[in-house]
Amino acid sequence: MLSRPLAAALAVLLALVLSGCGGEDDTATPPATSSAAVETTSVPAEFPVTVEADNGALTLDEEPDAIVSLSATATESLFAIGAGEQVIAVDDQSNHPADAPVTELSGFEPNVEAIAGYEPDLVIAAYDPGGLVDGLEKLDIPVLLQDAAPDLDAAYEQIETLGEATGNVEGAETIVESMRIEIEELAGSVPGAAGATVYHELGPDFFSATSETFVGSVYELFGLVNIADAAAGADAGGYPQLTGEYIVSESPDLIVLADTRCCDQTAATVSGRPGWDQIEAVQNGDIVETDDDIASRWGPRTVMFVEQIAESLAGIGRP
Amino acid sequence: MASASGLRARLRAQPERALRGVSLRWTAVAGVFVVVAALLGLALGPVDLGVAAVAREVLSHVPFLGVESSFSATDDAILWELRAPRVALGLLVGAMLAAAGASYQGVFRNPLADPYLLGAAAGAGLGATVVIVNGLGGAGLDLRPVAAFAGAMLGVGIAYVLGSSVGGRQTATLILAGVTVASFLTALQTYVQQRSTDSVQEVYSWILGRLETSGWTDVLIVLPYVVVSAVVLLWHRRLLDVLAVGDDEAASLGVPVARVRLIVVAAATLGTAAAVAFSGLIAFVGIIVPHAIRLMVGTSYRAVLPLSLVFGAGFLVLMDLVSRTVVAPAQLPIGVITAFLGAPFFAVILRTTRTVGP
Amino acid sequence: MTALAAARVGVALDGARVVDGLGMELEEGGWLGLIGPNGAGKTTFLRAVAGLVPYEGSISLAGDEVASLGRRELARRVAVVPQLPVIPPDTSVLEYVVLGRTPHLGYTGSPGPRDVTAARSALARLDAAQLAERRLGSLSGGERQRAVLARAVAQDAGLLLLDEPTSALDVGAQQQVLELVASLRADRGLTVLSAMHDLTHAGQYADRLLLMDGGREVAAGLPHEVLTEQLVARHYGAEVRILADEETGIAVVPLRPGVKAREPVS
Repeated sequence: MLSRPLAAALAVLLALVLSGCGGEDDTATPPATSSAAVETTSVPAEFPVTVEADNGALTLDEEPDAIVSLSATATESLFAIGAGEQVIAVDDQSNHPADAPVTELSGFEPNVEAIAGYEPDLVIAAYDPGGLVDGLEKLDIPVLLQDAAPDLDAAYEQIETLGEATGNVEGAETIVESMRIEIEELAGSVPGAAGATVYHELGPDFFSATSETFVGSVYELFGLVNIADAAAGADAGGYPQLTGEYIVSESPDLIVLADTRCCDQTAATVSGRPGWDQIEAVQNGDIVETDDDIASRWGPRTVMFVEQIAESLAGIGRP
Repeated sequence: MASASGLRARLRAQPERALRGVSLRWTAVAGVFVVVAALLGLALGPVDLGVAAVAREVLSHVPFLGVESSFSATDDAILWELRAPRVALGLLVGAMLAAAGASYQGVFRNPLADPYLLGAAAGAGLGATVVIVNGLGGAGLDLRPVAAFAGAMLGVGIAYVLGSSVGGRQTATLILAGVTVASFLTALQTYVQQRSTDSVQEVYSWILGRLETSGWTDVLIVLPYVVVSAVVLLWHRRLLDVLAVGDDEAASLGVPVARVRLIVVAAATLGTAAAVAFSGLIAFVGIIVPHAIRLMVGTSYRAVLPLSLVFGAGFLVLMDLVSRTVVAPAQLPIGVITAFLGAPFFAVILRTTRTVGP
Repeated sequence: MTALAAARVGVALDGARVVDGLGMELEEGGWLGLIGPNGAGKTTFLRAVAGLVPYEGSISLAGDEVASLGRRELARRVAVVPQLPVIPPDTSVLEYVVLGRTPHLGYTGSPGPRDVTAARSALARLDAAQLAERRLGSLSGGERQRAVLARAVAQDAGLLLLDEPTSALDVGAQQQVLELVASLRADRGLTVLSAMHDLTHAGQYADRLLLMDGGREVAAGLPHEVLTEQLVARHYGAEVRILADEETGIAVVPLRPGVKAREPVS
């Protein structure tokens, strides 16, 4: 049997050790000293948490507050769900929102050392070039890989995953719900457009996107027929290169230009292409000039893209 | 001296048979080949216009035949504003690359020389990449061809200056200078390309080559360059034969070797730069076609050069036909098709080449 | 009539003076043999006469300075048979010989029937008419040399420069080629300047010899004046005996003292 003073000393020692284990955001401590983060959640986040990503399951012991985002889409999502304060660095392509902490980090040519220099406790990426994930894992840096979503449901899942991983579950749920409702509404607003044909242009040399891609799935929502689908076999990723002949002969009802910023294409330049005056969409002026970024990402601003499409479809009625 | 009269008789009998440039037979074969290729290129494609319908449409433009066309306005647009310019561009680019390749092989006495040897391709690629990455030009003003053209000429120019300033055995140093310049410009191009990853796809697409045109204006821009270049090269085909015996011997036969080399390289590069400016970098045509011609008609440039010109034209049109029908309605970059053919072709060349020492 | 005259000729290559203060005169229809050890400057001097390297001093063809003649004009007067001619293997012999007509065609001109006839008659003259349709790559050494010579003959030039014309030929082919050159000289009045490594042949065929060493003239004159055992020993470092009789003409025989007709080792 321990002597009383020794037992008391041990008890104090134990209490000290236990209280030290929890760290700054230990849920055992009262929230009075919580960080200055403006959280929309009033209940503490549930950590540790395990989330599913394209690189497998990831377990986070505590809420991350030094997040590095190498994915422009993820950046938009993070800020939308309220995790903005937890983000310390984003890649050079993350141009939205404007106050995101842009750095020279690259999501396409990532430099593991440079990323590690920010001492992140969570890294989110959309691509895994050159062993990025492996490199970060070796340094014990948690990394979430979220590839381009193939459809809307996958996109929603990604936002929810980000909510779980960053302790913004409610914020994520709110965003996803509002996206769902708005998009459903917009999709249903032009019933007459179902069956119309669409050509989505990624570049003036006729690279397009099939229904296998995210943007393709948006067109499917409206019941549109994507003329690139006939070429689906040609490119595993869903981005075949079409020919001018084929496009003119298909005479799509709607042309969506996603190369307005990169390649200066407009309704005027498209209409001026030889032979294109035969196309339905050109004759009726149904050419949509979208923002390249909005059309290529799968985050919360997708709603804006869907809106643009819905507006332009309003003029295309099918009895 | 009985043999003398026999000799005289033989001399009278066959004065110049062995020395004609291109035989009548091969002229006919070449002509038929290119016409058939062009017609196939017009008749077939990702959109099925119907071969007979195309034929009727083409003939309806021939006066006094009284043939009526059954084409709709869309079909008409597809044939005459999209397919025909594409075929025309294919003819011009194919002819130019093949003729330039043959000329380079003659001037450098090297069977692997191609129109890109001295850095034309690397320079063009750099020019186009810079324009694409920096988003230069604007709506309606496509600066890629201009930049590609300038880049090609600059690349070859630098290689030439570098090679000439070193002196020594001219062709070897020129080739080395060309390889140096090409490597450097390619590295530069890769660097520029990597700095802007969202235009990578457009850059690669340009580099791998395609004959998609913006209509007849592209064709009309390329045409004068190709014509001038082809005429100059054809003029010099006999001199290429003389160059085959080396710089010293050619000089002692009265040929101004350095000047001829400069003129031929300049003409070939000018035409290649113009072609490449619109078509991107299509590999192997400059090597495949002249070598195939040599296997058929021998090594004299008096035959190889004109035949390469004509066969190259038809060849590229056929390659383009494959690139736009094999995965229709998608298209493959034409550079992929020609490279795909090039490798096995080289294997055939290696097996049939006889290596005889000097 | 002097076909070729040189005075105080110097040629510098890569900073070294390969030919220094050379002078000679060759009358029309004469044959001058240039002899000397390797590196003596023989080939370089020939190249200077052919206008292929710049030179100091004066080299004149029938009074006209070589450096002032245009390339084509020079090619019409001087035909060169190099030591190692470039032989494109797939070219026919006839096409190759027709190349010799180049100086007579315009810049972009093509050979006409007259040129082909000239080429065929050149081949016939060299007893090589039957080679006309053969590929160069299929010829033997001797046949190749005839083709090169035929090309030079087709050039219709007055001066023939031969650089080591018999190296790489067997003894029979050597004699044949030299006999052909001698007969060309006889019936066409060709002037011949040849660099030769075989001293016997040089003595037997050339009218006069010029011995060079270190870029300079060492001796010049009739063969028996230049081919002496002392000169050969001093400049070639070789021990020879010079024989001269009616049957062999002049002959330079390398000596290996002490070796008589060998007995087989039993």
